[in-house]
Amino acid sequence: MTQLFDQTNRSQTCFPGVLPLICSFTFSLFIVSCTAPDPEPSPYEAGVVVLNSGNFFDNNGTLSFIQGRGTTVNTDIFRTANTRPLIGGMQGYTEIDGKGVILVDNSTVGQDKVEIVEIGTFKSLGTLAAPDIENPRQVIQVGLNKAYISCWGATGDFSNFYPNPGYIAVVDLASRKVVKKITVTKGAERMVLSGSEVIVGNEGGEKAIAVVDLTTDEVKSRFDLGTNPQPIGLDAAGQLWVYSAKEMIQMNAQTKAIGSRLKINSPTDRYVGLITIGKERQNIFFSHYYYDAADGYKQKGEMYSFSTRDAAISLATPYINRFFSGFGIDPTNGTIYAGVTPSYKQSGYVLRYQPDTRRVVDSVKVEIAPSGFYFK
Amino acid sequence: MPHFRRKDNGSVVSKNNLVQKRIVCRLWLAVLVLVSGSAVGQQEPISLSTVTVRATAPERFLAGQKLQRIDSVTLRQFRFQNLSDLLSMNSPLIFKNYGPGQLSTVSFRGTSPNHTAVLWNGVNVNQPMTGQTDFSTLPTVGFDQVSVQYGSAASVVGSDAVGGSLLLRGLPNYSEPGLKATIGYQFSSFQNQQAQAALHYAGPGTGQGQFAGKTVVYGNQFNNRYPYRERGYYYVEPSSAYQRGLMQDFFWRNRRNNQWSLNAWFTDNAVTVAPNDVLGRERTRTQGYRILSSFEADKWTVRLGWIRDVLDYAKSDFSKPSHSLTDRLLTRLEREFGRGPWQVRLGGEVVHYRTQVDGYGGKLITENRADLYALFRYQTTRLTMSANVRQGFVSRFNPPVTPSLGLDYKVIQRERGGLTARASVGRSYRVPTLNERYWQILGNPSLRPESGLNTEIGLTGRTQPTSQLVLTADLTAYRNRIDDWTYWNPDRNYRVENLQLVVAQGLETATMVAYSQGRWRVGGRLGYALTKSSQQRAYDVYARDIVGKQLPYVPVHNLSLTAYLEHQELRLTVRNQLQSRRYSTFDNSQSLPGIMLTDLVAQAPFRLGSVRMQLQGQVNNLFDALVLTVKQNAMPGRNYALSVVLEK
Repeated sequence: MTQLFDQTNRSQTCFPGVLPLICSFTFSLFIVSCTAPDPEPSPYEAGVVVLNSGNFFDNNGTLSFIQGRGTTVNTDIFRTANTRPLIGGMQGYTEIDGKGVILVDNSTVGQDKVEIVEIGTFKSLGTLAAPDIENPRQVIQVGLNKAYISCWGATGDFSNFYPNPGYIAVVDLASRKVVKKITVTKGAERMVLSGSEVIVGNEGGEKAIAVVDLTTDEVKSRFDLGTNPQPIGLDAAGQLWVYSAKEMIQMNAQTKAIGSRLKINSPTDRYVGLITIGKERQNIFFSHYYYDAADGYKQKGEMYSFSTRDAAISLATPYINRFFSGFGIDPTNGTIYAGVTPSYKQSGYVLRYQPDTRRVVDSVKVEIAPSGFYFK
Repeated sequence: MPHFRRKDNGSVVSKNNLVQKRIVCRLWLAVLVLVSGSAVGQQEPISLSTVTVRATAPERFLAGQKLQRIDSVTLRQFRFQNLSDLLSMNSPLIFKNYGPGQLSTVSFRGTSPNHTAVLWNGVNVNQPMTGQTDFSTLPTVGFDQVSVQYGSAASVVGSDAVGGSLLLRGLPNYSEPGLKATIGYQFSSFQNQQAQAALHYAGPGTGQGQFAGKTVVYGNQFNNRYPYRERGYYYVEPSSAYQRGLMQDFFWRNRRNNQWSLNAWFTDNAVTVAPNDVLGRERTRTQGYRILSSFEADKWTVRLGWIRDVLDYAKSDFSKPSHSLTDRLLTRLEREFGRGPWQVRLGGEVVHYRTQVDGYGGKLITENRADLYALFRYQTTRLTMSANVRQGFVSRFNPPVTPSLGLDYKVIQRERGGLTARASVGRSYRVPTLNERYWQILGNPSLRPESGLNTEIGLTGRTQPTSQLVLTADLTAYRNRIDDWTYWNPDRNYRVENLQLVVAQGLETATMVAYSQGRWRVGGRLGYALTKSSQQRAYDVYARDIVGKQLPYVPVHNLSLTAYLEHQELRLTVRNQLQSRRYSTFDNSQSLPGIMLTDLVAQAPFRLGSVRMQLQGQVNNLFDALVLTVKQNAMPGRNYALSVVLEK
């Protein structure tokens, strides 16, 4: 973990020899001690950052912090550190070279933001706003102090929701500025870093995947794969997995040659989401959900998993028989973190599951609609 | 004091048309100060201005419940503002604001926006799709009478009157034959402007009869050119809006005092959020067309009405909005009987709904609703009692029967003052809105109607220890238990949430004082409301987190304080509103901060020959307080307005 504060002044001892007596005497007279004061505590060093989406039109998304792997939760840590709220829904969070990058999605156009904070204290270092940032979707690190943030741009009405192609905002975190915008596909969404390339998917109804060269920050190539392709990540064998239209596609990350296509055989009213690669990169988890017309169109579903070496995906036995609003896997011990949202107008819970037994270990209350996790 | 005579049906006609209007107006003001805050019992001689008032059903048949009539001084002071501004400062009604000029919905006694009926000349004009009214589209100008009816009035009003009702009326002014023209213009901060014009007319009273009427036209343009984009880290949402309307009332009474009336009210309002962003801008346009014709004779009343509500919502491309249209055709028939202290009103109403909404699938949906009611009133010198019963009928399901019982009792009755006690109990219901029943995917056609039980007790006292000092005080305690509550999130993207059982209870007090000394006049009004409204039943394991917690957007404490100083006709008013914080979540985990707003208003009349001119300057949000909307945007800071009204 990067040290954020200058530690060179620490434990400066008094002059040796004659003066320790004077030192201890003056110590009692003056507030300034011979040793430099302890550095300000960083309350958010080790633990889990929980992204709470909030209720869209209330613009009340927040970040919670679970201390260590315990049950103590600090709520609304951005506001605690900066005495102002984020004012929007939480769309994403990641940490890059000592800086946290928070994607904030406001319900009104032109009011979205990216907040850059100091990790550990969450004090604000800078803000990126409109017109550079509009509907930010995901942030990944692509180099030293360098981030790619995929953005949709402004959305239109429902008949033409993505009027313009999306873009990637190239952000220099040292200067806290957007240095370039790379035009990609409509509804630019998930990104996967693979060597010197970034594979970009989209939600805009297009079939194309864009491949961006991060040394030049330009689109290197595009190729069609399937509707709304979502790059998931690289597995243990270095193969790239992409999800599109109820298919999990495995392909060679460099040549882009398709290795296999695994179908998810389910009716058209079932949807797939929360696709996550497991800790050992040998399993992929996903949520399979639907809206129950007989129960007020409540969202219901289960979690499933399959191995990257499987020949087919089976929906016979769910991995966990429950619908979640967020899903994450602790890279240290494989514990499953699952977000539960009773409603968008009350706090949600994070349930922790043992990965082997699939039993609930415990649950902690967080904030509204927990939808993502960042482990540190 | 002018003579007047009570007619059999309880209305009052002034006989003496020659009394100086000024004196009557002043007495009228004093009396309004006295009687507002208690149910208007029409037994004793009240100094009414020379306007014929036929009381509406809620005013006459809801003994035991509080009726607050907004005085004409306040109506004139707020003439360029809308009713949500006026009611925030003069009543315990809470408004949920989405931004300046944007949607403003009401919460009355801890209930939700579709638990308040808005009656225009006795007809419920809540939009049938949402079951609500956008109070930012209700202008103050144009209504001759604005009253707040507290508590459930389902037995008299029908659906929606669960927390209370707002009564808006247009009244004829037969006592002033001739033509009176008024024209007004207001210029305010951020390049906002308003204009209005009114024409009041009445024919000479001949042997045949008399006509009277008014025409009011208004237009408001909110350009909202704020000099700032942010206030204290919160964005000030860019928006623009226009509001325009036309009101036309026409009355004719014949020599037997039977009256025909025609009331029309057309409105066209549009709000555009982020107007400069061609892709992301959103526009909501609502239009209302309302025409009501009535015939009132001694015993019979017949009414026919047509109300059309149009809602258009568009994003980025405004030429292809999502369109919703609902027509209501209304017929009402009433008959009154009276004998001695008893009065009975029997009535029936049939409403035919025709709606075509893109969100319902675009097909035409029709529905019929009917109501039958019987209202009883018993009156002696000290006691007024009312017992009512009403049954609604709706296509495809039936609301519960809603009886009510109430009484007013004059405990003390002296020359210089009095004390009245009141108590009432009544059932209420709310028919699910068209959205709740028919909206594609999120609606539920088999939703049950909500039913409530409201009980309240109160005391009103008034005293006039000297001829210069008038004091009134009012205290009410209520408990409203509402079952099968369906909470519709007005944000529209989210499902209907069923709250099941809500108990809203609280305390309301209002004190008014008026003191005059020579040419000086000073006075004020202090209102305070304590509201506790929460869910009582847990229906799943997560609902345990929200049982017993205050409902969102209902502040526990609400205080409004108005004080004025008047010399001759120059008047300075200070208005304050204080509200404790409002939770934005069911489990009270998040809240919007409390509100403290202060306005300062200065009014000065002038005379230019035969034309009367009224100049009004005001400072709104005097202390530049930061007030947040529900979307966590900042409302604008201190702003100014200057208006001129000419009257001839």
